Amino acid sequence: MVICHLTFAQSTFDAANAAYAEGRYDEAATLYQAIIDEQPNAQVYYNLGNTRFKQGELAQAILSYERALRLRPNYADAKYNLQFAQSRITDNTPEQDFFLLAWTRALRNSLSEHTWLVLSISLFIFGLVGILLFLLSRTLWLRKTAFHVAWLALLFSLVAGLNATSLHRRDTLRNEAIIVQGVVNAKSAPDRSGTDLFTVHEGTKVTIRETIGEWANIRVGQNEGWIRLQNMERI
Amino acid sequence: MALMGFAEDVQFRAQAPSQVIVGRPFQLTYTVNQRSRDMRAPEFTDFDVLAGPYTSTSSSTSFVNGHRTSSFSQTYTYTLMAQRAGTYTIPPATVKVDGENIQSNGVRIQVLPEDEQPAQQSNQSAAVSNQSSQSSQTSQTASENIFVRTIASKTRVHEQEALMVSYKLYFANVDVAQLTNNTKLPEFTGFLKQEIELGEIQAELEHYNGRNYQTAVLYRTILYPQHSGDIQIEPAKFEAVLRVQTQQRARSIFDDFFGSYTNVTKMLTAPGVTIHVSALPSGKPAGFSGGVGKFNLTPSISQTELQTNEAVTIKLDITGAGNMKLLKTPAIDWPEGFEPYDPKVTNNFATSTAGVSGTKSIEYLAIPRSPGDYTIPAVHFSYFDIEDKAYKTLSTPEYTIHVKRGAGEQSAASGQQSGVVSYTQKEDIKQLGTDIRYIDTKNLSIQNSKFKIQNYEWIWLWYVLPLLTAIVLLVVLRKQIKEAADVNRMRYKRANKVAQKRLKAAAAALKDNQKDAFYAAIEQAAWTYLSDRLSIPMAELNKDNIAQLLRQKGVGDGLIHEVTDVLSTAEFARYAPSTDHAMDDLYKATTNMINNLEDQKI
Repeated sequence: MVICHLTFAQSTFDAANAAYAEGRYDEAATLYQAIIDEQPNAQVYYNLGNTRFKQGELAQAILSYERALRLRPNYADAKYNLQFAQSRITDNTPEQDFFLLAWTRALRNSLSEHTWLVLSISLFIFGLVGILLFLLSRTLWLRKTAFHVAWLALLFSLVAGLNATSLHRRDTLRNEAIIVQGVVNAKSAPDRSGTDLFTVHEGTKVTIRETIGEWANIRVGQNEGWIRLQNMERI
Repeated sequence: MALMGFAEDVQFRAQAPSQVIVGRPFQLTYTVNQRSRDMRAPEFTDFDVLAGPYTSTSSSTSFVNGHRTSSFSQTYTYTLMAQRAGTYTIPPATVKVDGENIQSNGVRIQVLPEDEQPAQQSNQSAAVSNQSSQSSQTSQTASENIFVRTIASKTRVHEQEALMVSYKLYFANVDVAQLTNNTKLPEFTGFLKQEIELGEIQAELEHYNGRNYQTAVLYRTILYPQHSGDIQIEPAKFEAVLRVQTQQRARSIFDDFFGSYTNVTKMLTAPGVTIHVSALPSGKPAGFSGGVGKFNLTPSISQTELQTNEAVTIKLDITGAGNMKLLKTPAIDWPEGFEPYDPKVTNNFATSTAGVSGTKSIEYLAIPRSPGDYTIPAVHFSYFDIEDKAYKTLSTPEYTIHVKRGAGEQSAASGQQSGVVSYTQKEDIKQLGTDIRYIDTKNLSIQNSKFKIQNYEWIWLWYVLPLLTAIVLLVVLRKQIKEAADVNRMRYKRANKVAQKRLKAAAAALKDNQKDAFYAAIEQAAWTYLSDRLSIPMAELNKDNIAQLLRQKGVGDGLIHEVTDVLSTAEFARYAPSTDHAMDDLYKATTNMINNLEDQKI
């Protein structure tokens, strides 16, 4: 059954790539989407992103690249193309509120959830071994070394574990979205009558803090306001 | 003018003026350079023979540097008069030289019609002798007798189309002595000017407006209009000095005989002329060279198979007539990998009434720096054809050049010395443009979906299990742990053993009478023992605080004293003059001290 899926996916993928090479972007997009519906895949998301870009759909391209990076954080081509597409959108990427926050977020995003977990567990075990070594060794220098190694390993294990949890939360909550409507005004209240606070353009990444009905309270940079859910698409 | 006599340098030439006027006599001469006889003249069908043939001979001999040269000529002269206007050819005459018949050349004569108005003869004015010399001069120098004409080859041209403007002097029945420098030529604003060298001024006869005039071209230039519209060329002024006969009241026979002349300067004005310049039509092709005229393009390339660092030359020959000097040099779009040099232009021009004609050769040289197959795109040369009144584009073919890696580079790569090692200019990779990276066409890898953590509960297991194992181990090995923790205790226990070892070493040194080794061992034994026993690092122990530390441990004063004694002795004895017993005593004292401390169980 799995093999069936694989061959189907591979042949569709090849067909889609051929369509892309010949400039038949609509056809390529449909085919890529078909594979994704069956089984999300970083490569396919990336190729879909390229197709959307060629079609002039910047927001959709950014969406696809972000999804590709979710599945494979070290996908260099996707990162490059994402930055390229982002350079074409109207809004500047907003400055992070605090550089430390941005740095920790970047660290978290640099590896997959799975990798962080593996790291966390191995470091934990390593730490335990260190403790035992510390307790059991008779020579002073070995005791000392083992002690320091142990507590460092346990600390990093904790950090890795937290990163993994954070990523898990992100992927479960899916509270990051890309604006897909050309121009949207964020309002002060989840209602059409609210005051217009600021404008966002398509392709901008926003964080959804809460939703009421068809409205979502989003934050982008320092700005916070209400936009209807139909204007965005979650990553 | 073509046919000459054949045999042996014989020359038999006919000569006559090229233009004559009806009713005016002129001379036709036949000259032969060897003795001849039986001269037969041709039929003078269109001319009346007024006189002739008169024969005359002349010969001369000269000696130059021992060389004898002699010349001889025999001339037959006829005086003819044309009957009517037109252009006629007088056929050749024949003569016999040394028994051979020699023919002369034919002569072409243009016969101009008579003046329609009677010319103002100086004879006539002489008849009116009472007139003032002034008026006679005026009549002689009347503008009908002498004037300058402005002759433009075309008055309707396009921008940049060449036209020629000449100033021609016409005079009849006046004696022109010379032209002064007082010439005022127009500015020719709006034109690019290219003067034509005239050389020797030749006078020609021309029939103009019913009269026959002597003519001479004073000035000639090619003009290229630089903009459209009506451009005025102002009148030009020339000054001529004329010799006129003067009439004086008082006349002597000598005056009558010789006639008296004065020089009169006359300012002659050549009229201005308007040139109607139309703009070049719209639809100028891109890369229009600015050329107006008629041109041809001949391209050539030196070679199409090259090695790197070997030069290739593309040559463009533009031939034709028009404003060649103003043509823009076409540019060759050399592909990346070629190092082009400035093109070399060679002009081979001649000036004529059509403008400048000739060849403009442009050599483009470039050197390929990297191997590969390159295509040089076609070069286009566009100009405005004045005959067809349309823009024309001439193109070179697209050249394909195949460049192999040069021999020098190959040997350099293989590490051989080939004389000069070429230095490659290092460059950063040149950014030509930016675009997104291409799609990923690798085979689909089965994603980490397999590793997608579905059940988080299992994760905790990975933490809990090792933890439990660790705890179990802790419990199992608690005794060892305790012991390991009590490193100090270990050291305490073994302090005596360690001290005994040291003392043994001291004893050995004592036996060998090695002072330094002995004292070192003793000190080490003492201090290490105390350190281990007290669980204080050696570095923190010294003679001063040892007493206090021991007291804290409940050691009696007596023992304390014993300890300090040993330590001091050990320290100082090293430098004090040694007695035989010193070492022995110290050894004994140290051993006792340790034993006592052992018993104390501090």
